[in-house]
Formats: sequence, structure tokens, C-alpha cells
Amino acid sequence: MAETLEEPPTLLSTIGEEIIRIIAPVSACMLLVVLLVSVLSSSSSSDAPPTIVFSADSETGSSTWDKLKDALLSSIAFVATVTLLTFLLVLLFYFRCTSFLKYYMAFSSFIVLAILGGEITLFLIDKFSIPVDSVTFFILLFNFSVVGVMAVFLSRMAIVITQSYLVLIGVLVAYWFTMLPEWTTWALLIAMALYDLAAVLLPGGPLRLLVELAMSRDEEIPALVYEARPVDQHTASNRRIWRSSGVSSNGDLVQESLPETRLVVAEEAVVSEVTAPLISSANVDHHRQENSVDGIGLGESGAIKLGLGDFIFYSVLVGRAALYDFMTVYACYLAIIAGLGITLLLLAFYRRALPALPVSILLGVLFYVLTRVLLEMFVVQCSTNLLMF
Amino acid sequence: MTVESGVGYALIALGPALSLFVSVVARKPFLILILLSSTLFWLISLIVLSGAWRGFLPVRTASLWPYALLLFTSVAFQEAVRVLFWKLYKKLEDMLDAFADRVSKPRLVLTDKLLIALTGGLGHGVAHAVFFSLSLLTPAFGPATFYADRCLRMPFFLVSAIISLGFTIIHTFCMVIAFEGYTGGKKTDQVFVPIIHLIAAMMTLINLAPGGCVVGVPLLCFVAAVTLQYCWQMVWRRLNQHQRRQSNS
Repeated sequence: MAETLEEPPTLLSTIGEEIIRIIAPVSACMLLVVLLVSVLSSSSSSDAPPTIVFSADSETGSSTWDKLKDALLSSIAFVATVTLLTFLLVLLFYFRCTSFLKYYMAFSSFIVLAILGGEITLFLIDKFSIPVDSVTFFILLFNFSVVGVMAVFLSRMAIVITQSYLVLIGVLVAYWFTMLPEWTTWALLIAMALYDLAAVLLPGGPLRLLVELAMSRDEEIPALVYEARPVDQHTASNRRIWRSSGVSSNGDLVQESLPETRLVVAEEAVVSEVTAPLISSANVDHHRQENSVDGIGLGESGAIKLGLGDFIFYSVLVGRAALYDFMTVYACYLAIIAGLGITLLLLAFYRRALPALPVSILLGVLFYVLTRVLLEMFVVQCSTNLLMF
Repeated sequence: MTVESGVGYALIALGPALSLFVSVVARKPFLILILLSSTLFWLISLIVLSGAWRGFLPVRTASLWPYALLLFTSVAFQEAVRVLFWKLYKKLEDMLDAFADRVSKPRLVLTDKLLIALTGGLGHGVAHAVFFSLSLLTPAFGPATFYADRCLRMPFFLVSAIISLGFTIIHTFCMVIAFEGYTGGKKTDQVFVPIIHLIAAMMTLINLAPGGCVVGVPLLCFVAAVTLQYCWQMVWRRLNQHQRRQSNS
């Protein structure tokens, strides 16, 4: 080649940027959870996990049927609590108690960052024998949490800080969820996926009511939502078209205080109603025409928003896969990203409220089962004989 | 043996792929999406293969032919999946061209198409390295190492990392050759890819013999070098042809 080909920037450089801006933080969240789980899992296997209502799983020797029964009961109890709390949220929103919700959101972010974050940092300090005294630790933790609350709450911080703190909150909550017993985790994930599907698409579903209320009043839902792009205050006042929403809540996590546990956490709907597994593209009205792209669904305006509940449940799935082996982690990661891509395509296609959890979670569970049952034996057989293709 | 050696093995298997990713793929978001989808494709084909072969594993005989059959069917299936991948790519190209016309931007040029083919191949290569080498690397981060019975000269992790490196290169550049072959219709390109893939896979059968990996692994790297050379020649020829055509019109 005599001279380098100087081509004008083609289509390929600009398409797909929105999707990558959502996939990158989701991947970062999952990566952090996998790292935390793999570093801390060997040391914390003796701690009692937080028990939700029923737990025969942690006892060794209980039969599969007992485990399954307890898992189902726990997950049904959880979903029931979530439904109740979401209806409560809709009620509060209806009566315009928005400031109460915002203060509650700030309070729960503080609790997550300070208490859950502090606990995990203590695990890490213990594992790596980091020399730090308690006064310094408390000061640093307090500062960290307060900055986090401000970043999430006020919209005047640098967007990178807000995004990082949101991802961190997702990581912390997801890590604690992975400490549930195994069958309960899987049952919970599937139950939440089905709940999300029902709550958003059924006419009486709480999330659909919430979205319609917000749209009719032209207000934002007070929730922890990850935005892929900064929204300036001017466009925020325009009418928004929410694509989907799903509100998750942690039910009552009552931990029995056993001698070796350090903390009794009775969190009632902690990061709860406030972290919405929500996926939407905030389109300003006059850009609607350009957004009607068939099949690809890549609008030029509109930052994609994803609720924090989605981050959390995706990471829980991957974290639980990490407790088995890394092959399942890769398979589940690819499945979740594929599900997210499919959901985004459906979003551009259907142009209405869509839940972000079901497709990814169901694909993730499917791939986990397939990998564990089929793939592992095959790949181990081939690789240990050094046969590859 | 330690964290350092674990990371080292991972980088041996994935180093060139990582540098390709950072320099080429990470610049254009669309290519990242292509990478993820081609990785997914490869994973699905692998799952289907493992489902088909599940009943016959673990292979208990020490003879050669079950393994040879396994490799042959796997390579055949993967080549069929590659053709399917190409057909999907064609549809994608049409959609992108239609979108480009609608927003009045220039259509896809040759370098774009080559980049998409390269990324598709990179996805396959990365998936191969991840599932065959990286997923078994967890013990390498611990305090000891592991030697396979038939290959006592190098740790198992090192051998599998080098083999994965060879296959990553083969997968990446075979995809470019294959796409060019299917688009241009040249028979030599179209036939080259399955043959090289088959040769490389059969080469790993040499590893079954005791001490065979000393011969098998360098041969595999040689096959990877051949693929690189062929791809380089083909792309050079094509780009010159394209440039001549552009300066003529």
C-alpha cells in the first residue's frame, strides 16, 4: 500500500455506542462480584448466611426435596414481600409523597454503603491482613458513604462518580445475595424474573401503574437508576417515554445472631423499592422519528437507563455461577449479555414498558444448567488429553 | 503456581487477542457487539456438540479412533456453523446499508467488512481460549502446578495455553479468509479454511502419544503461521485490487 487509506469515518464508528455504554457497567459490576466471591468464598464458608424465613439448605444431609421445598417457600415469601412493598410505593407516589421517597432512598443508600460495604471491607481486611486501625477505618467508611449518598442523590456531581457509586451499590447488594443457600438463590432468581414479567406487562401490575402515573404527571420515578449518559436539566423537563420498569426490593432479611456472626441485620426493604430493574430510553419527543429504525433499535437521541435491580440480579446469577466454577461464569455472562441485547432490541421494536430481567435470567439459568450438565465433561475430557479444535 | 504464573498463563493464551481487541475492536462499539455475538455463537455450537457427545463420554478405550471421530465431527459442525454465521452477516450487512442510506451516511467499505470478519474470528478465538484453557486455570493460582501424564516436560497449563494461542490465531484469521472466500466465490479460499481447521485439530491428536506434545505443539504453531501468511497475502491482494478499482473509477 503506497499510502494509508484515508477514509471518512463510516457508519461502523458510531453505531452501537449506546448499547456498549450500558453493557460496560453491567460487565464491570459482574466482574467485581465474581472477584469478590472468588476471593472471599473460601474464607467465609463457615459463616451462617442470612436466612430468609425458611432454611433447611444450609444443613447438610437434608434431602433434595426438602431443599427444593424450602427454596420455593423462601422465594415465594420474598416475591410476596416485594409485591406488597411495590404497591406501597405506588400508593406513596400517588399521594405525592415524593420527598419522603427521596429521603428514604438517600437513607437506604447510606445503609448499604456503610453497613454492607463496611462488612465486606472487614472481610477483605481480614483476608489480606491489611494493617488499619478502627478510627481511620470508621472515618474513611463514613466519608465514603456520605459522598456516595450525595453522588446518588444530587445530580450535580461528575457523572463518573455517580455511575461508579451506583455500580458499587449494585456490587455490595449482589454480594450479600450470593451468600444465600444455593437452591434458594436459583429459585429466587427465577421467581423475580417471573414477577418482573407479570408486574410490568399485566394490566394490574404495580410497576405498570407506577410507570403510567409517572408518565401522566410527567415526573421522574424516585428510584436508583443507572444512566448511560448525563442528562442536562433542560431535557429532563421534557416529556419522557419510559420503556419499562421493574422494581425490586429486598424483603425482610433477618439474620439470626449466631455466636460467630458479627452483625444482625434486620433490613426492611432496604435498597428495596428504590432500586428499580428498569430499562428505558429517555427519548425526547421530537427525536422520535429518527428512532424508528427497524430491527437494530439504535436511536441517536436517548440515553438508555437501566435500573439498579437489574444490575443486582444479573450479578447475583453470575456470582452464584462463580461459586461453582469459572466455566459457568463465562457461559452465564454471555447468556446475560445476549439477554440484555435481546431486551434492548425488543425495546426499540415494541416501544413500551418492558421488563429487563426475564430474558436474561432465564437464558442465564439455562446456560448454567447446560454448562454444568453437558459442557464441562466434554471440555475437561478434551483439554486434559490436550485435544482441541 | 501463584497468582503471577496464573496471570502469565492467561496472558499467553489471550495476549495477542487482547492486543487486537484494544487496538482494533475497542475503538468501534459495533465491533464489540460483533465480538460478543460471535463468542456466543461459538459457545452455543460447543454446547450442541457436547450435548451430542455426552452419552459417549468419558472415553474409556486408549485407542485413537474415538478421539479422531470426536474431533472430526466437531470440526465439521463448526465449519457448518461458520457458513451460517456468514449468512447472518450478509443479512446484517444489508440492514446496515439500508440504515446508512436512511441516515445518509456512507455505506460499508471494504475495510469495514474486513474488520467485521476479523472481529468475528476473534470472537471465536477468544471463546476457544476461554473455554478450553482459561476455565481450567483456577488451580494455577494456587500453590502447586500440574503435569499431564503424556507430557512431562512442561506444566499442563503452559501446554494448553500455547495450544490455545495457536488456535486463537487460526480461528481469527480463518474467519477473514472464509468471509472473503464466500463473498468472492474463490474455491481455493473456501476450501482452505475447513482443511486448515481439520489439520490443526488432527495435529492435536499427536498429543495423545506419550511425549507427543513436543512434536505436536510446534507443528500447531507452524499451521498458525501458515494461516497468517495466507491471510496476509489474500488481504494484500484484495486491498490493492480495491484501490486500483477506486483510482480507476
